[in-house]
Amino acid sequence: MIRIYRVALREYMENAKTKGFWIGILLFPLMIWLMLEVPRFLEEKGIPTRHVIIVAKDDAAGDISRQRLTLLNRQKSLSSLQQHLAKETADQRAEMLENTEFDAAELLEKLEEGLSQISPDAGAINPFNPEQLVEIGDLVPDELLLNDFRWKALKNLLLSQLPEGSAAFVEPELRFKEVSLPGDLTSESTNEEIENALRPYLRSEKLFPSNDENVDLFALVIIPENVFDGESQIRFWSTNLADTDLLDAITNSLSEHARNLEYEKREISTADVTEIAALRIRSNNFNPNKEAGEEKVGIRDKIRQYAPIGFVYLLWIAIFSVAQMLLNNTIEEKSNRIIEVLLSSVTTNELLLGKVFGVAAVGVTMQLAWIGSMITILRLKAGPGAEWVVDLMAAVISPELLIGFIFYFVTGYLFYAFLFAGIGSVCNTIKDAQNFMGPIMLILMVPLGTMMFIPNDPNGTIATAMSWIPPWSPFIMMNRMAANPPMSDIVGTGVMMIVSVIMVFWISSRVFRVGVLRTGQPPKILELLGWLRSSNS
Amino acid sequence: MATAIELKNVIKRFGEFNAVDDVSFSVKEGAICGFLGPNGAGKTTSIRMILDILRPTSGSISILGEKNASLVRDRIGYLPEEKGLYKKMTAAGIIAYFATLKGMPKKEARSIARELLQKYGLGSFMDHKCEALSKGMGQKVQVLASIAHSPDLVILDEPFSGLDPVNQEVMEEVIRDLKSQGKTVLFSTHVMSHAERICEDIVVIAAGKLAFNGTVQQAKAILPRRVRVGGESIEEVIPSLDGIVSCTPLQDGREGVLELIVEETTDSRNLLKSFFDAGIALDIFEVVKPDLHEIFVHLVGEDAREAAHR
Repeated sequence: MIRIYRVALREYMENAKTKGFWIGILLFPLMIWLMLEVPRFLEEKGIPTRHVIIVAKDDAAGDISRQRLTLLNRQKSLSSLQQHLAKETADQRAEMLENTEFDAAELLEKLEEGLSQISPDAGAINPFNPEQLVEIGDLVPDELLLNDFRWKALKNLLLSQLPEGSAAFVEPELRFKEVSLPGDLTSESTNEEIENALRPYLRSEKLFPSNDENVDLFALVIIPENVFDGESQIRFWSTNLADTDLLDAITNSLSEHARNLEYEKREISTADVTEIAALRIRSNNFNPNKEAGEEKVGIRDKIRQYAPIGFVYLLWIAIFSVAQMLLNNTIEEKSNRIIEVLLSSVTTNELLLGKVFGVAAVGVTMQLAWIGSMITILRLKAGPGAEWVVDLMAAVISPELLIGFIFYFVTGYLFYAFLFAGIGSVCNTIKDAQNFMGPIMLILMVPLGTMMFIPNDPNGTIATAMSWIPPWSPFIMMNRMAANPPMSDIVGTGVMMIVSVIMVFWISSRVFRVGVLRTGQPPKILELLGWLRSSNS
Repeated sequence: MATAIELKNVIKRFGEFNAVDDVSFSVKEGAICGFLGPNGAGKTTSIRMILDILRPTSGSISILGEKNASLVRDRIGYLPEEKGLYKKMTAAGIIAYFATLKGMPKKEARSIARELLQKYGLGSFMDHKCEALSKGMGQKVQVLASIAHSPDLVILDEPFSGLDPVNQEVMEEVIRDLKSQGKTVLFSTHVMSHAERICEDIVVIAAGKLAFNGTVQQAKAILPRRVRVGGESIEEVIPSLDGIVSCTPLQDGREGVLELIVEETTDSRNLLKSFFDAGIALDIFEVVKPDLHEIFVHLVGEDAREAAHR
């Protein structure tokens, strides 16, 4: 035992000293952090104010478009103000969360009422707390935002909630800013005249002079006269085809208006239309496997059904990362001939077990570090109220499930680890090893492919059949665990996995014993079978 | 004296090929034994069987009084023929690691490793990674790794190969030190001068078969006694002398020198006297003492050549 431990310890220390190990450990949280931060950063800083020229031959259409741009600008301003408030009052909010019942409808009503009573400059008198103002988020209705007076009042209301000594709020850049046509052009000019005059600016060959600064002209939008008839089309000029926000905003607002015009023409009340469009047929899902009275299927149950996918991934990544380490190590020892000294000190079984456990410990360390850093980052990012991350994990993964996962994880891992160590022992170079690895990789791809559809039919024929094939069994069974597979399957495949692991260990240890002392070409399959039969090699 | 290693009728077959063919020999406890044989004679295979890395097809091996090396692993040190180290480990680290695998406590293993490196001239390389060491230094590190746990029996497979003359001497010193500590050493080589300088006993195998097992003195007795003589018209006298088996001209380029193979009972003083009595003016009278090199060539010459052609 002590020798297995010592081999394992060395294996662990050597791998833990490599750059790859630390890069692996650090890269993952860095990636998660970037995944969370980059979009926000891009949203905040990345997209500059888009300068646009709107030429509206129809006044109403021009107003509607401009109004929509103003709305988008104010939404951006509001959300960044809310984020600022959330950041500055994080401690306070954590406390409030516990004793505040949050009712959005009531809050909105209160907001409407409050805003109509107070003057825009007297923000301090109000019946709200910062928590409510942060939570109200996207709920603030468009009409309120578009009302200049109320918008100013709302902003002051939020600013007044900032505790003393907070950092000053910096108004974000506008999303869209309209600039006017150059001097000699008016909306009466022909499209051709306007387009020709503006082409160099749109191509970014020249900066567009606007007031006292020169700006990069993002787009030119020409709205034709009879746009609401649906006969003539908007002319949108821009070199940027990827950013469709501006065009979407304009077309959506105009389409809405066009529809409303049509409703009026046909004497349909727009309020009725909105109401009718909101009709939804709802469903309740029940699971007959659950106890009476609790058959109702909630979101939690659905997450539970799909949570195993995470574990399947985890096992897959563990096997993959370990495969490389085991192969490299065995091949290094073999090509260095260290193996002979080792074998004069430890038995092949001790060496094999030591290696597999040592490398497993490396893998487990890495994964614990990943899970730990993921939870830490999520909690940091989501503020102190983010206990839900842990709660969710605990709720979704019950102890029985966890035991199942751990069992299949361990057996699945050992199954492949012994296999890889055996392969490493017959190869002299990584190149040799790749020939053997090809088919194994193909086998390993299968559970990755079935992973997504097994939860749809966890106890179906395919899933059940695949559960009984040892290389796939751990993946498939993990996948099925949440769906209460029959006890016979669990016990049966469990026993099968234990037997398979012992078999693979036995075979690998045989092959290892002969393989590690062998030099030259890797053996043929028939030769390998011969090794298994000969007991005294 | 007790035997440290004993092989009885050991056969190792790889497919159709008998790598080791009915070999029996023994190594005395506390002796330095040279294990000699040409390339491909079965030395490494024999050593691997002694260490229980390979199992014999038939026959029995006893080592340090046990049937199986795995029972006395911790009392054996082994340096394989092909040397290698973990590239990323330090010299001291790797010696300590191998010592701990032999059951030595970690702390002790570490201090022994540093002590040994200091003693055999690698003190300043202790904390260097093995990949930064020269080939010779790496080999020394490996030798030290095989003896760090103070084994009773040390088996060294070609310990001298790849070492410069100075380090070959250091290696000899290591082996003599082991002897003075009462350890048994079995080492294989095909450089006879080393064996001659440090061995008491030798085992010679050729083409898988035992060719000789005994002391160096006994080995030297295998070769017939030879006397080289040269002088005016000496050929005419020789047939009339007693105790001479054969007479051939020497092939080493010296003109007129004859090599006589004499009977074991022939006294060289009487032979010299006979020449005087016959009135021969001797240019050369040389009693040839056989060295191990000659004995080796005599014992395995044919087989070695055959093996080389294979």
